[in-house]
Amino acid sequence: MSRTSLVMIGVSTGGPPTLKELFGALPALDAAFVIVLHITPEMDYRIAQGLDQVASMPVTLARHGEYLRPGHVYLAPGGVHLKLEGNQKVVLCKGARVNYVAPSVDVAMQSLTRPLWGKLVGIVLTGMGKDGAEGLRHLKSLGGLTMAQDQKSSVIYGMPKAALQTGAVDLVLPPRGIADKLVKLFPPLPVPLSKAT
Amino acid sequence: MPKRVMIVDDNEYVRLSVEIICESVELELASAASGEECLRQLEAGFSGVILMDIMMPEMDGWDTIRQIVARGLYPGNVIVMLTGMGEPDAKMDGVQEYVTDYLTKPFGPDQLIESLQYYLSLLQGGGDGDE
Repeated sequence: MSRTSLVMIGVSTGGPPTLKELFGALPALDAAFVIVLHITPEMDYRIAQGLDQVASMPVTLARHGEYLRPGHVYLAPGGVHLKLEGNQKVVLCKGARVNYVAPSVDVAMQSLTRPLWGKLVGIVLTGMGKDGAEGLRHLKSLGGLTMAQDQKSSVIYGMPKAALQTGAVDLVLPPRGIADKLVKLFPPLPVPLSKAT
Repeated sequence: MPKRVMIVDDNEYVRLSVEIICESVELELASAASGEECLRQLEAGFSGVILMDIMMPEMDGWDTIRQIVARGLYPGNVIVMLTGMGEPDAKMDGVQEYVTDYLTKPFGPDQLIESLQYYLSLLQGGGDGDE
């Protein structure tokens, strides 16, 4: 069983610049990062590539069947739902939209199960609607640490607000504060060769 | 490669402001005073970053996006919404995945330029996404 720690991030409108700010402030860390951004298949690869340019960790589109690795960032592709089997294996599946969207943050977060072998962190960032609120509540019930973006720094304070209203949010922070917290939670990793300049 | 931007806003002052800002950094700007005009320009081949006002008479920003998607005109474009409202709009349900960002009016030139350049770089550098 993998001991890889996992950080799952849900985000929608205003996501690209917010993710850029968050990952631009993060060194390579000993955790796998999964981002569920409401995005179309036409834009997902471009968003991943744009984020890869500013992040210390490699950012790729999640592929069906791959296992998460620490120090890597995986973006859920547009148009399908992402689930994690055993909290570590990517499963991409077609299905009805949930909360009007696919991929849905709730679907991804609610696919997580016990036992947890590493640390688990769930984060809901800027976005319209309420996707991610139930997922974050589930993640909290598993023993994870939960964070929501603060109102002031949110482009749209919909998803973080809905998450907060569940009562399952541990910390409310701006992107920089979230980055600082993650740095304290996870030990650093050497910068991957693909990122070394 | 052209660095193209389209402003879709019924307010002439906003269109003019965006035009001045784009000119200052040599971005090519298309201007549309309505959703219908935006659709015509997309059907004529526009591709780039679309700055879309929400509150417009007849066809508002959300309905314009629904038409863009229904007519197959979305690929090759990034949509950034412009709004003067502080609160999210329930009409966004079902189309939020097509809205990459949100700018609140009034926005500063630096903020607009930074957004435009970032999204144009994504459009120009992202390949076709096939793997």
